[in-house]
Parts: sequence; C-alpha cells; structure tokens
Amino acid sequence: MKISISGLGVVTSGAWGWDEAERIFSAADPKPVNIDRSAGYHREGGARKAMLVDSARMGDWLKPMAARRMSPASRFAVCASLMAYRDAGLEILPYDGTTAVVMGTTYGAAFVTEKILRQVFLEGPESVSPALFTESVANAPAAQVALAVGARGANNTVTQRQVSVIAALKQADALLRSGVADRVLVGAVDEMSPLLHAILDRFAALAQPDDDGVETGRPFDARGSGWLGAEGAAVVLLEREDDVRNRGGLVRARLFGAGSAFDPGAPRSGWGKSPGPRAEGLGAFLVDHGLSPGNVDRVVCSAGGLPEADRLEAKLIREVLGERGLPPVLAPMATAGSHGGVLLAASVLAAAGATFGPTPGFAVPDREAGIVPHDGRPMPGPETVLLTACAPGGSAGWALLGRGDV
Amino acid sequence: MKVVITGVGAVSGFGWGVEELCRGLESGATSIRTPSVFDVEGQRTTLAAEVGPPDADAQMEIDHLRNLSRADIFAVIAAREALVRAGLEGGGPRTGVFCGGSTAGMAECEDFVGRIVGVRPGKPMLKLLASQQLNGPGDAVARDIGACGPVVGFSSACASGAMALGAALQAVRSGEVDVALAGGADSLCLLTYSGFNALRSVDPGACQPFRKDRQGLSLGEGAGMLVLESLDQAVARGAEPLAELAGYGASCDAHHMTAPHPEGDGALAAMQAALKDAGLEGIDIDAVNAHGTGTAHNDQSESCALRRLLGDRSPEVPLTAPKGALGHVLGAAGALEAVASVVALERGAVFPTAGSAPADSDLHIDLVLENPRQLPPTSQTWISTNFAFGGANAALVVRRLV
Repeated sequence: MKISISGLGVVTSGAWGWDEAERIFSAADPKPVNIDRSAGYHREGGARKAMLVDSARMGDWLKPMAARRMSPASRFAVCASLMAYRDAGLEILPYDGTTAVVMGTTYGAAFVTEKILRQVFLEGPESVSPALFTESVANAPAAQVALAVGARGANNTVTQRQVSVIAALKQADALLRSGVADRVLVGAVDEMSPLLHAILDRFAALAQPDDDGVETGRPFDARGSGWLGAEGAAVVLLEREDDVRNRGGLVRARLFGAGSAFDPGAPRSGWGKSPGPRAEGLGAFLVDHGLSPGNVDRVVCSAGGLPEADRLEAKLIREVLGERGLPPVLAPMATAGSHGGVLLAASVLAAAGATFGPTPGFAVPDREAGIVPHDGRPMPGPETVLLTACAPGGSAGWALLGRGDV
Repeated sequence: MKVVITGVGAVSGFGWGVEELCRGLESGATSIRTPSVFDVEGQRTTLAAEVGPPDADAQMEIDHLRNLSRADIFAVIAAREALVRAGLEGGGPRTGVFCGGSTAGMAECEDFVGRIVGVRPGKPMLKLLASQQLNGPGDAVARDIGACGPVVGFSSACASGAMALGAALQAVRSGEVDVALAGGADSLCLLTYSGFNALRSVDPGACQPFRKDRQGLSLGEGAGMLVLESLDQAVARGAEPLAELAGYGASCDAHHMTAPHPEGDGALAAMQAALKDAGLEGIDIDAVNAHGTGTAHNDQSESCALRRLLGDRSPEVPLTAPKGALGHVLGAAGALEAVASVVALERGAVFPTAGSAPADSDLHIDLVLENPRQLPPTSQTWISTNFAFGGANAALVVRRLV
C-alpha cells in the first residue's frame, strides 16, 4: 500500500503556506525577532530572539470570532490544516468519520499554562478562566482542527520532544495502513511563549548573541551555541495513493514509513554521546524498507546549532549512512527555527524537489560532528528523503519520504 | 494475531499495587478524601483521590528513583510491578513504551512558576523542570527497564492512557515490538484542579457516577501499566496471559471543546470501532467499564451511546464506573481502568461503583452498586471507554482467554 501526501499547509516565521515556505528555504535568510522580555523571566545577556509567526496574516484563514477562544498553537494548527485541505483540493464535509487527526507537539500549551498558573498564584483559583483551561490540554490543537474540518475519525496527540512530529507520522501511517482512516491530517505544532523561551535559554538550548549581537542557529558549526527558538505548524494530508488517484488529486510526496528508538543510557536532559540503540534502530528501519545507505538521496535533520544535539545526530547519520559519500544534509531549522513543523515542511518540500539555499550560520565545521550541511548548490530531484530527529532524554526518530507527481 | 496482557501494575488512591487497587474496588469504598499535596482553599471542592505514602519497602524503592516527578514515579513503580507479574526482567531493542498522560511533571513545574512569581519560597531551579515534559513518565519507564524500541508519549487529555494502549496493540500486531509496556500516569496538580473547579464540573463531595444527583467529577492521581505481547510469544516463554486485548477504537465528536455530543455519537463510534477491531458486536459485551465521570453531561451522553450500542440489553449489562472510587486520573484513567478490567475478568466479577446514592433510573443502565457482582462463567468480554476534552474518544475491548 502506498501512502501519499496530497496536501500541505505551513504556518511558520516568514511563511503562510507551502509556496512561501519553499521561498524561505530557498532564500535561507532567517529573520528572528525580539521576544517579549518584559515579564522579567529572562537572564541578562541570554538569547533575545525567536522565529515567531506573523499573526496579522491569520485573518486570511481564521475569522477573529473563531480564533478568539484558541491558543496560538490551536490557531496555527487550524490554519495549517485548512491550507492542507485546500492544497489537496478537498471539500470540508460537516461530519466526516473517515478523517483522522494526529498532532505532535514538543511543549504543549505554553502560553495558556503560564496564564492559568499566574491566575492561580496571583489572583486565586476562582479567577481561572474556563476558556483558557480548555486550551491548556496538549490535544487542544488537534481538537480544534477536528472541529474546523468536521473530522470525526481518531483524534490523537503525541509528544516525544523533538521526535514528536515523527511519532505523529508513524501513528498516522498506521491509521491508513490498517484501514481505520481514509484521510489523516497529521502534523506538528508548537508555540513559543516568553516563559518557555526564557526556560530554554536557562537550559542553554538557545543560540546566544555573538560579538555583534547576532543570534543564529549554526548546525554542525564549531561556533554553534544553540537553536533559534521558534513556533508554528505544518500539517499534511495523508491518503492512500489509490484514493488520491481516484479523486483526481495530486501526489505531492510519498510517506514510506516512520520509526523510532530509544537509548535508555542517554542522560535525562541530554542527548548522549553515542547513538547506540538509535543507530541500530535506524539501520534496521532502512533494511526493512529495502534500502541500502546509498539509496538515500537527501537527509533532512533536526540539527539546529546546539552542539551536543548536532553531534549526536551527526554520529547517528554517519554511523548508519557511512562516513563517506553522504547525500546532501539539510538542516532547515537554521532557516526557520526549531519546531517540528519546520522538519515536516522541509522534508515534504525536499521530496518534491524544492530548492534549498545554503545552511545559514555554517562556516566553520565542527570536527566532532563531521558533517558539512547543504551548501546551496543545485541538487538533482531525490527519490528518497530521510527525515531524522533526535531528542534529549534518549529518543530518536526517522521517516522515509519519496518523490511525488509534482 | 492475538495480543495478550501478561502483566499489570497500578498506583492509585488505594495504594501502591494491583492488590491494593483490587481490594479497594471490591470493597465499594472510595479513595477520595482531602488531599495534602497542595492547599485546596478557595476551590469549589476540597477533595481528590491522592496516592498516599507507600509502605516501607516501596518507599525504599522510590528513594532510589532520584530527580523524577511524582507522575514519573507512579509510572515506574507500576511498570516494575507489571514486568514482575509478566515474568520479564527488562527491555531491549524489541521492547517499546507507550505512555499516556495529561500533565506529567506539571506539579513540579508549578513549583518553578510559583517561585518565579514570588508566591513560593526558594529560587526557581531548573531541576524542577527536568521532568516537566509530557513524555517524562514514558521516558522514565524506558530508562528504568532498559527499553530500546519506540518510546512514545500520548497526550489526549482523559483518553491518553487508552490511546497509548491502542498504539501499543498496533505495535505488537505489526511486529514493530515484541513487548510493549503501555499505560498512563498523572499526578494531582493545581493546573487541572483549579481548571476543573473553574469549569464548575467538580462535585463538592466525592463524585457519584451515574447517580441521579451527580454534581461532577473528583480528580485523582496514579498510574496503570500493562505488558502486551503476542499470545504465541507468551505461550512460548511459559507466561500466563491474564487477558486478551482484543480491540481498540477511537473517534472524535468534532462537536464542542468540552461538552460531549448529547446523543453520544462519538462515544458510540469509538466503541463500534473497538468491537469491529476485535471481530465482535454489541451482543458480545458482557460488562462495561464506563468512563463515568459523574458530570451530568458525560453520564447522560455515555449512557445514551451505550443504549444505542447494546439496544434492549442495555439495562441488563452490568456496568461499573471506577472514578467513584479512584477519582478521575485523567491521562492515566484509561490505563488504570484497563488494569481494573483485567483483574475483574480474572475474578469473574464486576466491581461496585462507589457512592451511596441510587442510580439514575433515567439512564437505563445496570449500575453495579455496593458489592461485587459475580458474572456467569460464560462471560468473557468487557468494553472500557474513555472520553476526553476536545471530543477525543477511545474504547478498548478486553477478553478472558478461554
């Protein structure tokens, strides 16, 4: 059974829609903005920038009356889902029991959680807003998507830090292959609140200002100091390929499968130094899909400029695909910031043959990582794209995508 | 392929272990009482099913679990018990962990935020956040047992635990893993306690599911973990299967963010999907473990769905609602209630629903009250349901192996 990606929606910094996402990946010119530091959560001298969504453009997709009770994450997910539907040329049915929704999230409802806790602590528990509480659950975006498109199939939210988007793809793939659903809106969504930004900065996860005050994610670069914090969503419509053909739709890309593994020896808040079981898992996954390392034409990875994370992912890629002759390695989070939607959008666009510019911030190779990411030179259209992601705590995940019709 | 449950573990308001859970449920008593984990002043209710202190042996075990959140600890202890019951020693490359939860280490995160806003003493130390993330309990279990297969967190509010079990069932069936540790864990926290209070969906007293004068839910905490594997593998290694996890189904109301569909459309669809997955029909159901939160809307909607599923049999199929005894353990509910269903199947009985008020006769259900009800020896199939915020529904079919 072939699983197709027939529609794509993207909401991220600098891009509303897949065509704009294609342009920002091609331009490779990240434009982070200042995050609100007025609450005093941030430490002196730390990260100040993030890749934030321009919410002024939301009105094209979501009316204010519908958006007013949604968290930022729910709004991103709903807009991206509506885009994916439109891209797929599908009409929204009011009661659609065959469409499922699967969302991955790394951090859940950051804004709402903070607001509720401030209400509880500073104004007393009776002051908590019921509408806010409703949006505080991690599955609120998936639920809002279901409401927006009338999807009455399974509605699932998975969370495995940076691997969440791949875990979501895995669940969606299983729903289609088992026949439980005919269509799945699957994606990843996250929002970046000032408190979350400050916490990530205190964990030394975010890119630090350089001597010129510039904050840049530098994947696989010796000067890497962290990610660019980011928010947004990407959602794809998955269908069985026969169904896409029968309704005259276009196959933008194909999903061959997804998987993950865990290293129980990895530190709880770190990545670990050796890929260990994660490399064994990825190797077995490729074998299961009848691929040798030489068959992978492109890698889209989660490296974003945090040395420990990038080195682990580099070792994983090198150990499985070989030390020499690696295919082009794309690190899209350097362009659009670190959220799962960026990985999904970039891997689908890569499979569709999109152009990617040189990796922002990369100039001085990190010898320990040992990977030189894509330098912007033209690449032939790929047959297979390997998406990888590594998370602190021990998880790593991967998905295999292929070229579509367009 | 038949997938069987070979081990179960539980932490609940009744204590640390399946035996404690079983004794509590059999007694018809409730574990809902005044909690000690935080100040409940100013809330509509002052009750919850809090997990009490463990006995000395369990405390020694917990003392070795450093820097874990309360939810992590519940998950790890339940997983260890499940593995021992299954006769397994640990993980490996073919073992996966599928864990549901709605707030994970939120209680510890609250301490961090409380310190930031100056209402709690001490500096906001980052270690308070190390286990905050929603995948924390599953990761803690995987690390503890040495699992190297897929580890996935599920966070669909009150349906999370059941969804984790559904994904684990699929992973065993597909051959992705040989052994799955699946379940859920959640701990009491101010976020959910205050939130449900704000929604006015809590009962000021202990919740009384499916009763005429029900006023809402009571929150709880705990964990349920189950070991899943293929029947062939269990038999080959000499394990004794406790039950078969025969089917799983899910749906979404797409109706309202908090209110269930009034006629239970989504709940019915999830149950029908679970039965179809198991190759069964409504006529095959011998007992029901209901979601039964004790809110007016849930119990009305759920009983409506059950009437549509069971037809004329609805008033005769025994039904139990453990939340009267365990409180609503949110992301762990589906898992803890699956454990309860397995042990009830083992005993051939339906546990009573805690609470003293008479059943709501308008709901046309056979609510088991006061004492366990023995089932005929031919009874073998339970359905267990969980419905979440956002209209996410899940149902599991558990069968006795004959």
